[in-house]
Amino acid sequence: MTAALFSWPWVFDHLDDIWAQTLEHLWLTTIAVTVGLLISLGLSAYVLHTRKAYGPITWTTGVLYTIPSLALFAFLVPITGLSVLTAEIGLVSYTLLILIRNIVAGIDGVPSSVLEAAVGMGYTRRELFIGVQLPLAMPIIITGVRIAAVTTIGLVTVTALIGQGGLGFFILRGLSLLFSPIGTTQIVVGTVLSVVLALAVDLALVGTQRALTPWARSKEAV
Amino acid sequence: MIELINVTRTFPGVETPAVDELTLQINEGELVVLVGPSGCGKTTTLRMINRLIEPTSGSILIDGNPIDAVKPHQLRRRIGYVIQQVGLFPHKTVGENIATVPELLNWKDDDIAARLAQLAATVKLEPELLDRYPSELSGGQRQRVGVARALAADPPILLMDEPFAAVDPIVRAHLQAELIALQDRLHKTIVFVTHDIDEAIKLGDRIAILSDGGHLEQYGPPNEILRDPANLFVADFLGTDRGIKRLSLIPVSAIDLDRGPVVGRGASTAAAQTAMTDYGTDWFAVGEGTELDGWASAADLGPDGVDKVKLEPFRTMLSPKSTLKDALDAVVSSHTSVAAIFDGDRFLGMITADEISAEILR
Repeated sequence: MTAALFSWPWVFDHLDDIWAQTLEHLWLTTIAVTVGLLISLGLSAYVLHTRKAYGPITWTTGVLYTIPSLALFAFLVPITGLSVLTAEIGLVSYTLLILIRNIVAGIDGVPSSVLEAAVGMGYTRRELFIGVQLPLAMPIIITGVRIAAVTTIGLVTVTALIGQGGLGFFILRGLSLLFSPIGTTQIVVGTVLSVVLALAVDLALVGTQRALTPWARSKEAV
Repeated sequence: MIELINVTRTFPGVETPAVDELTLQINEGELVVLVGPSGCGKTTTLRMINRLIEPTSGSILIDGNPIDAVKPHQLRRRIGYVIQQVGLFPHKTVGENIATVPELLNWKDDDIAARLAQLAATVKLEPELLDRYPSELSGGQRQRVGVARALAADPPILLMDEPFAAVDPIVRAHLQAELIALQDRLHKTIVFVTHDIDEAIKLGDRIAILSDGGHLEQYGPPNEILRDPANLFVADFLGTDRGIKRLSLIPVSAIDLDRGPVVGRGASTAAAQTAMTDYGTDWFAVGEGTELDGWASAADLGPDGVDKVKLEPFRTMLSPKSTLKDALDAVVSSHTSVAAIFDGDRFLGMITADEISAEILR
């Protein structure tokens, strides 16, 4: 990085801007992962009840996952406009496959003896899901959330194309000013900060996982 | 009381029923063991009682009420359930595990805490273990927690599916003894499934022997089944040593005890010889009334009466509560070929191998 291609003055002049876009980036990610998680939990609960649905659901979310993000946003803009909604529809779609797979795998991993004992003691289906299956699947579910969050943070930059984008805003504008120090500076700021954001969120989720699964820690200790 | 009336269960795709027209009555406060080879439908039968499996036909009543009169989860909260793999919740502490059903029934926190302390004592679990996670426990401790959890809401009925099959023999013997002691105090109605006939004999007030397809081959107290097997299947299943097995069920007090070749203190050599001849032994014992001093062999008996002979103590002493199996063990491992029975220090009499074998043949 030569001094000519990176402008520290630009950075210092735009700290407020950078901070605002970082928060925006985090916000778009949080909404996408939260909404994705809620939808996935609902669909997973349905899959547990009706196993036949698992194939079609993974197929559909799998297809969603393979659509290039650019194409998906281009397809949605005529319907929902250059809006946060458009961005979130895309972002949420991409979280579903990972989250549903991890939730179902986590729940399938609950030992059958634990389920038998729980049902034998009088757990209802709902109590079983909330009180036993979800907590025990938590490590695998959070692993899914970590992957979904990191993927989403990368994808949020693409939503700059439809007027959202968080840190992607800098990347997009930098591209339009290419070969000028201000342009490359913005590309670097947008890229580096979204990577840092991804790492920070991942780390925070690891912490959450440890806090939510104290029993798994005591197992390691033995 | 639990009643199974013409209960049949057929599984999809299997022609022969897992349980076929089974009728069985389990009385209140009774420990009934369902025993049989694998595939005999014993576990299916057990799981029909708490509706983990629904019968294809027939009915099951608890205290006269059909079990399908309430929702399954309500029924199950009043029936303790213990399984071989225990199935403790790994994400809950031992205390939280035990408190499962009281929590489901919305007990007050204070009541739950009090009950936990009580249950830990009941199943001999160190109270400090209540805050640990199940992964930190040994197999025997986990099984104790499983029993405590099943007893937590004080259900009148306990269903136990091979609960001790996965622990080592020493721990199993402990757990079995604890279950017997527990049942002496709590008088639950217990249905216990095992494939181990020795366990069935040890634990059961009554044993139901099932063959393939849930056919009830014989149902009765272990002593009775061992004495009179209903058919070849039962006799086979009990094994060739069923006579010996039965000895463990008969207390010494059930036999008329013989005094044996006992002579009084200061008895003459001739008196001791007469006693030995009468009983056909080559030893004699010395004692008065309920006091027994010891024994000596014929070879040590000099001409000057029994007072001059150095007596050996009886090494194996049994109480009236000992079983004939203990007595047999004492007989074959003693020099005198008898077992001396004492109530405290009071000498009651002796048992010989002949008397034990007569009891087997009865």
